[in-house]
Amino acid sequence: MPHKDLLDIVSLEREEIEHLLDQAVPFKDLFTRSVKKVPALKGKSVLMLFYEASTRTHSSFEVAAKRLSADVTNFDVAHSSITKGESVRETIETLQAMRSDFIIVRHSRAGLPGTIARLTRASVINAGDGAHAHPTQALLDAFTIKEKFPDPAGKRVLIIGDILHSRVARSTSTILKKIGVEVAFLGPGSLVPRVGPEHIRRFTNYKEAMDWTPDIVYLLRVQMERQDVQFFPSLREYHRLYGVTDARLAEIRQRGLYIMHPGPVNRGVELCDAVMDYERSLINDQVENGIAVRMAVLYWLKPGAKEE
Amino acid sequence: MTLLIQNARIASEHSPVLTRGDVLVENGIIKTIAVGMAPADGARVIDARNRIVMPGMFDAHVHFREPGFEAKETIASGSAAAINGGVTGVVMMPNTSPAIDSATVVASVLESARRHARIPVLTSGCVTKGRQGKELAAIDGMRALGVKMLTDDGDTTADPALLLRAMQYAGEFGMFFASHCEVAELAGPRALNDGLVSYRLGIKGSPACAEEIIIDRDIRLAHATGAHIHIQHVSSKLGMETIRWWKSRGDVRVTAEVSPHHLLFNEEHIGDFDTHYKMNPPLRTRSDNEALLQGLIDGVFDIIATDHAPHTPFEKSQDFISAPNGITGLDTALVSLYHHFVSSGVFGWDLLVKRYSAEPRRLMGLPVASIAQGQAADLLLFDPDGATTFTEEFMQSKSHNTPFLNQTLRGSVDLVLLGDDLLLDR
Repeated sequence: MPHKDLLDIVSLEREEIEHLLDQAVPFKDLFTRSVKKVPALKGKSVLMLFYEASTRTHSSFEVAAKRLSADVTNFDVAHSSITKGESVRETIETLQAMRSDFIIVRHSRAGLPGTIARLTRASVINAGDGAHAHPTQALLDAFTIKEKFPDPAGKRVLIIGDILHSRVARSTSTILKKIGVEVAFLGPGSLVPRVGPEHIRRFTNYKEAMDWTPDIVYLLRVQMERQDVQFFPSLREYHRLYGVTDARLAEIRQRGLYIMHPGPVNRGVELCDAVMDYERSLINDQVENGIAVRMAVLYWLKPGAKEE
Repeated sequence: MTLLIQNARIASEHSPVLTRGDVLVENGIIKTIAVGMAPADGARVIDARNRIVMPGMFDAHVHFREPGFEAKETIASGSAAAINGGVTGVVMMPNTSPAIDSATVVASVLESARRHARIPVLTSGCVTKGRQGKELAAIDGMRALGVKMLTDDGDTTADPALLLRAMQYAGEFGMFFASHCEVAELAGPRALNDGLVSYRLGIKGSPACAEEIIIDRDIRLAHATGAHIHIQHVSSKLGMETIRWWKSRGDVRVTAEVSPHHLLFNEEHIGDFDTHYKMNPPLRTRSDNEALLQGLIDGVFDIIATDHAPHTPFEKSQDFISAPNGITGLDTALVSLYHHFVSSGVFGWDLLVKRYSAEPRRLMGLPVASIAQGQAADLLLFDPDGATTFTEEFMQSKSHNTPFLNQTLRGSVDLVLLGDDLLLDR
């Protein structure tokens, strides 16, 4: 079944996920060649609609689209009539006239990419909507994990941090479940929802979480900007309770665990400086793999296809 | 006009058993109820064929959006939706623009109702000016025009001292208070239960305790002042149990309402951001549905009210966070309650008539409609074997933001008679 849009991970079948991850491999192989570009999407147009600031995801999509030879337009949200009170829907009706094949959207409102998807024939890719979903991040995380563990079933990933506000935690835990990886959450009680999917273990104590014997420690960015009220007393206290301190890094190294982080990193909060040189840090792999899986997604989606 | 309805089954609030009979209405009064009546000359005769004659329903919680939001609803369209659903009287909420917080606005609303509505349209009035929670509204001026219910509906009167004084002041005039219960700081800006669905959708949820705290607070204020408090649209099990406990004490004047959507739907229905299930208080869990139903059966809830809240298709087609709260209810309530509860024997006709016709009228100090000799005709003919498809064309509300859109349910309202005025005949 061809998909028009990629809005979340929940709507993907396991086979579709495996297919996308397999497709990303040859795209990644291109990166080491002198000519990194293929003509797969020549003549197609990609519109970047980023209502929230983003450097990594935005550039990653832009590079992915350009390596597929698509034309990329950046819709300048900051200077558009959106700031003059135009509704998102009016903007989309305007954009519809531009006849883009793909719209890549990031917005602080959960569910908004889905609303856009229903209003346009273009393929809509959710590049992050509030705390709801970030499907390409989940795909790149799964891809990165499979590079290290080709058969990841039964492996354990401990996701540490602000689960409550994190679309990454939601999408990545969903994709990991689909490929057979076990997931646990660790964080302050105020940032780990008490009610969550039954298959996800919930820890608020670092030591107990490590006793669960994870294979990968996945740190989330502490998103101070999403916190409308205070969730923990100070960054210092957060680092002490949930951060990868030097002492904890030593334990992680001794156990041979991998470290992941969706970026950008708050040094001294989620992790200490030394993690940046840790040999089993996959943070840079995640960035590179992001381009490959986004190419696979752009190549896979079918603009104009009917979604159920 | 003389109207003879033959072969009817008659529902009342007092018994689950329907009584058989013919109902003769002359000049707006129920003249005779008997079996096997012969039609008089010139009488219109309707063969009910075992359909049910019952009193007109009364909805004590509707938003008719006039003045200020006439694109969503007007008194004319809202009252037409009421008639369409077998409802022959309503109480408007005051969250209009301007808010209904003075004799001037009350007078203009009542004048519009007199001109445009074929059923009694009552209005509540604000507790505070502009529903701002800062200064008391012009309470006595509104009372003089017949306002009985005071509410800042949609918002809780946040300052308990202000509400306490309002209760001390207006309780003396025989007015009562209706509370939309919500601690704003806990509830957050979005109408979505705090739970598995809010986690999945990534939207900050509103915990049931945000509602339950104010339910308890406002009943305590009524207890302290002797005022009558009416708790609106209770959505949670603990909210219901709080009211049950206070009622069991017997030393506070408290009434409460439940809406059809909180009985029928829960957070799971939201699925993938379906705004037709977005309302405030939010839909909670299946176990809350069950508890609320038990509360209705046990009499913890005095009345059923829809919180009929029309919004334009454009507004509801926005993303879940931007879309406004509320669904329509007047066109659909009676049929949906019949379909889901009465037809399957969960509760009887007596409960439906008591909670959606008799008690709401008592709450408002109005005479209760009943099918009895000498009563003014306020009745409807309901076909339990019929079916209703809630298309946009069928529904009379200006808006059609309802989960029942395009659904077909068992039961149909075939005729509505109010006095000498045949409001609906299909």
